[in-house]
Formats: sequence, C-alpha cells, structure tokens
Amino acid sequence: MKPDAALESLIQRYLDGVATAQDLGELNGHLRSDAAARSQFTEMLNLDSALAANAAGWLADQAGASAPQRVQRRPLVLPARWLAAAACLALAGAAWWWQGTNAVFATVHKGAGAEELAVGMPLRGEVHEIKNGAVEFITSRGARIVVEAPALFQFESAQRLHLMRGRVAAEVPPAAKGFTVITPTGNAVDLGTKFGVDVPVGRAAEIHVFQGEVIAQPSGGRQRQSVRGGQAVTLQSTPGGEREFRSAAFIRSDELTALSAGLVAGQRARAETGVSLLRHDPALIALLDFQSGVLPPGTYRVVQGRWPGSHAPEFVNTGDHMKIDVGGEREWPQLSLAAWVRLDRLGAPYQSLYHTDGWAGDKPGQVHWIINHDTTMRLALQGNTVAPGTHDRFPDSRTPVLPEQGRWVHLAVVYDSVAHTVRFYLNGRFDREVRQETAFPARLGPAQIGNWNQQDRKLSGRVGELLILGRAMNDDEVRALHAAGTPYL
Amino acid sequence: MSPAENERHHRFLRSFTAQEPAIRAYVRRLVPSRADADDVTQEIAVVLWEKFSQFREGADFRAWAFGVARMEVLGWLRDKGRDRLVLSEDVVELIAEESSRDEPHLHRQRAALEACMAKVTPDQRDLIMKAYQPESSIQEVAGASGRTVAGFYQWLHRMRRLLLDCVKRELGREGSS
Repeated sequence: MKPDAALESLIQRYLDGVATAQDLGELNGHLRSDAAARSQFTEMLNLDSALAANAAGWLADQAGASAPQRVQRRPLVLPARWLAAAACLALAGAAWWWQGTNAVFATVHKGAGAEELAVGMPLRGEVHEIKNGAVEFITSRGARIVVEAPALFQFESAQRLHLMRGRVAAEVPPAAKGFTVITPTGNAVDLGTKFGVDVPVGRAAEIHVFQGEVIAQPSGGRQRQSVRGGQAVTLQSTPGGEREFRSAAFIRSDELTALSAGLVAGQRARAETGVSLLRHDPALIALLDFQSGVLPPGTYRVVQGRWPGSHAPEFVNTGDHMKIDVGGEREWPQLSLAAWVRLDRLGAPYQSLYHTDGWAGDKPGQVHWIINHDTTMRLALQGNTVAPGTHDRFPDSRTPVLPEQGRWVHLAVVYDSVAHTVRFYLNGRFDREVRQETAFPARLGPAQIGNWNQQDRKLSGRVGELLILGRAMNDDEVRALHAAGTPYL
Repeated sequence: MSPAENERHHRFLRSFTAQEPAIRAYVRRLVPSRADADDVTQEIAVVLWEKFSQFREGADFRAWAFGVARMEVLGWLRDKGRDRLVLSEDVVELIAEESSRDEPHLHRQRAALEACMAKVTPDQRDLIMKAYQPESSIQEVAGASGRTVAGFYQWLHRMRRLLLDCVKRELGREGSS
C-alpha cells in the first residue's frame, strides 16, 4: 500500500524534532484512529533507530585513520550505582550494532582449548563466551587479539571489542590504530600498540601497556590518561589508578601458538600421567595441582592454569597468599621443591614462592624459597651457611628465572643436607650447585605460598603446580618432570 | 560481589547484551528523539539490573524487558510532557503494544537495512551517516552538502522513504524465495 504522503511528512517532521504543536495534534489523531498509520509510523521510527545503529558502526570504522577522536554519546545522567550498573550503562552507551548485521568484524585465527570458537569462524556482532583455553582473532583491520578464558565478549565493529569479563592482549598495526576495548569500568583506546586488558569479576578493569601508548578513559569520561610501555592503570572513576605492570598476566600471540601445539601433541595427557605417577612416590610430601574442589585457604584469585579450564591461584597484591601445612614436625635430610609458575618481573625485593612461617634460631632448617630482585632463585634454610669461597650469604641460582614476556616456567631446587648441596634447575635444566658448610635437615610445617607471615612479601602471578618431595631428585628426574609437565611444544 | 551475585550479573549481561538493540529500537518508537532514546535506554539498563531478581529464569527476557521499558518510558513522557512536544499517552500505549508484538518483523527490517545502504551511492551514504551522528548539527551537515536546512530535510525524508521501501522489497524477496 502506498504510504499517505501528508502523514509521512508529519511523521518525518516529528522524528526530526521539527514538528509544531499543531503537527503533533494531527499526528496524535491519525495514530489514535488508524492502524495503518501506526504501522507506517512504527516502521519509519524503526528505520530511524537502525540508521542510528548503522551510523555508530560507521563512525567506529572511520576512527581508525587518526587519533581516537570519537564522538562520545551524551554524558550519563545517572550516577553509576555500582559496578554492575556501570556495566549496563557502558553497554547501553556504546556505539551499537544490531543483530542482523552481515559485516565480519574478526576471524578466529588460532586457538588452544577454546572449543566454542573454531579456526576460521567469522565473528560478527554476536556475544561470545569461552570457558576454557584461549583464542586469537584477527580483525578486518589486521589487529591480533588474544582472549583468555573465562571470558565474555562481543565485537561491536572491527575497531571496538566489548569485554565484559576475561583477559585480552592486543597487537594493533597502524591500519587499526584507534582500536578500542570497552570494559564495564572504562575504555582502552589504542594509539598503535601492544597492550593487555584484564576485566576480573566484580573488580575494576586494568590496562597494561607492553609497548607504545594507550589512552585510558574511565567510565564517566572525566579524565583521559595516557599509559605508555611498561605502565599499567586501573580503570576507576577516582584519580590515581596507577598500578604495577603485570608482564605475565596475558597470553600473547606467539605463546598461544606454542600452547596450541602442546595441546595437539598431547602434553596435557602426558602431564596428567606424570602427576599420577608422582602421587605414588613414597617420598611425596605434597603435590598441589589446584584441580580438586576445595583449594587451600588464603587470599588469592583463581584463574586459568597451564591447561584449558584448569585452575591456578593468582596472587596480585602484597600479602596475597595461600596457606599450606605439610611435612609435619619431622626433619627432612633431603628435599626437592618444584613448581610451575607464571610470574611478573617486578621491582619488589623478594617474591615469595614458599615460606615456612617464622624464621627462628631455635628451628634450624626452616625453608624459604624465593625469587630475588634480579629474578634469580634462592633457597634459604634457617641456620645453614654457604661454604667458604662463595660471596653470597644464601644459595642463589645463576640464571634469572623469569622471562621478559609472560610464560609458564618450571622452577626446581634440590636440597641435600647429607651431601651439603643446593642444586637449582630452570625448565628442567641444571643451572647451578651451591655448597653448604652448615646444612641442617629441612623443616616444613605451617607455611605460605605467595607471602611470609612475618613481614609482607609479594608474589605477582600464578602458581600452576607445586611439588614437595622428601628426597633428592636427580638431573634426569627433574628434566623428565619438566618435559612431562610443559604446556608448550 | 558474591559468587552467586557474579553468576546472576553474568546471566543478566548475556541477556541484556543480546536484547539491547531491540530494547533501544523499541524505546525509540515511543520517544520523540534519538537522544531521548539513548538517555531512556541507559536508565532502563539500570532498572532492569535492579529488577533482575524478579525475572523468572527461562522466561522471555525481551518481553520482560519491553514491559519494564514501557513503564519507564511512560513515566519519562509524563515528566517531559510538561515542556516538550510528546505523543499522547494513549497513543504511546497503542504503539508500545503493537510494536512489541511486531518486533520480530521490525527486527528483520532493521537487519535488512545494511543491504539497502549498500545500494545508495557512497556520497549519499556518508551524508546520511553524518546526519545521524550523535550531536551532529543539521545546519553544518546541510551547509557542507550545499543545501539549505529545509532542502536537506526534504532530501533526508526522500532517502528514508527510499530505504524503507528497499527494506520491504528485500524482505518480500526473502519471503518469496
């Protein structure tokens, strides 16, 4: 049916905001009495919102060429009542897509354990959830985006990724400059960079810049802050969101390739076999893989471990810790400690891997396993002394143990009070032996991972597995332990 | 937030995100301007989250959200109607009722717009998109295109009618194929 031209003109004047009071009176009359008029009105207004949604996408697509001079929607009228409300407002205020859009914003390039998203799959405007693993997308502008589970996200356009929860690492080429990650507590706008965004559940999002520069825009839009390589901020509405740069918190493209190859090669099954063999070792004191339902008490977050969907405690703030109490009152003449860790390179003096509570002269043999400021590893036993000829006060590894970029590393140290030796291993390879002059048997009992109960220390990152064995492992065993447990190929 | 609260928030976000375009379009059909629709939709997002505990698991989220949105819009219109030109409440009620029922069809119309936008010339498309930017000035867009404001509105009206006819043709073709 041909639309009524006079009515059409009324409707269009109304939707452009230029109708007079008389126009409105006439329009009310038509709409009240005529179903066909209401249908014509509804369809035209519906087109208007589709055009507005289309225009938002068009703007995002135009933004790439220059600095992030995006037109903001009108400022919020309401105060953000809490984080959840802020999330909704960010959703509602974002430049929008609509469901039927056919444009492909990004394509799945590779993945490790994220079964929901197959390689080659096109992403349009849908909401996606990944529960396990990690996946890399390449946007139609060439940005590489790695998302780690658990994550809930949606591409609003090739240039706008809405991250409701999870972790994202982005590598943005010049053609995709202006790429924006939208979080419940603010936005990260790329200025030609490599950066990561972490959206933890119920906490403010963080931006970590690996290289280049990112503009941080907390929700509410009052302040924009430049964040440069090696810096990090929390996206919060109050000023002063600087925080320590967490170099290891994000899985990046090259690591994902190695993780994917490891999975395909069956490393996970190999690791599970290795773990079950260790559980039968008569000298086993503890093997924590954090997969059982109940985790030890403490203050830490639970995030993904080395394998898709596995768990690992993550320590973020000074004083975060996990309490364990193993080994009892007895003395251990020989002790092997081994752990899979993914740690940040920090300026902190010590990072605490495993600290028995206290450090008392009447309890010789208490064990402190830490990472030094220079990222070498240390094993200190209360009362022990190093053999003459060594300058250090405590046995330290030779090689720094933390890589520049976040990766899982395997750390091990074997102590033998009978042989008077401390032997360090990094990723299964022998690193250094330090001789002890005085060598007490090791003493365990109540202890913390991630902190020391006497004075707050820090551990920044994840611990995927911790093995404590009451005997001295040899070089071949440590090599095999690493080979069985590595997630990479 | 407690784990249960997180889970609830998570479920809300999934439902809300999937339905947000429909809610925004629904609100747009009931309020005078696009900017009003943006403001009211933001308020509705908060209200929906606050009332989410009343939402029965497994029920139709969109229908529930439309119901909440309709109450919010009517309240907003009563508030703004004193100093703004808005449609009569009885008319808005009618349109709310019918356009909620017709949403599947209206959704298909919105989805079909992309194909129709591809059929207009790049110059026309750019000009429409500029006019539809939030806070764009019609005077400036009209001036930049060499038209008077009245001339620009006439042009825009013709383009909208052309696009709506195209959208209906597209859907007609889909229906007959």
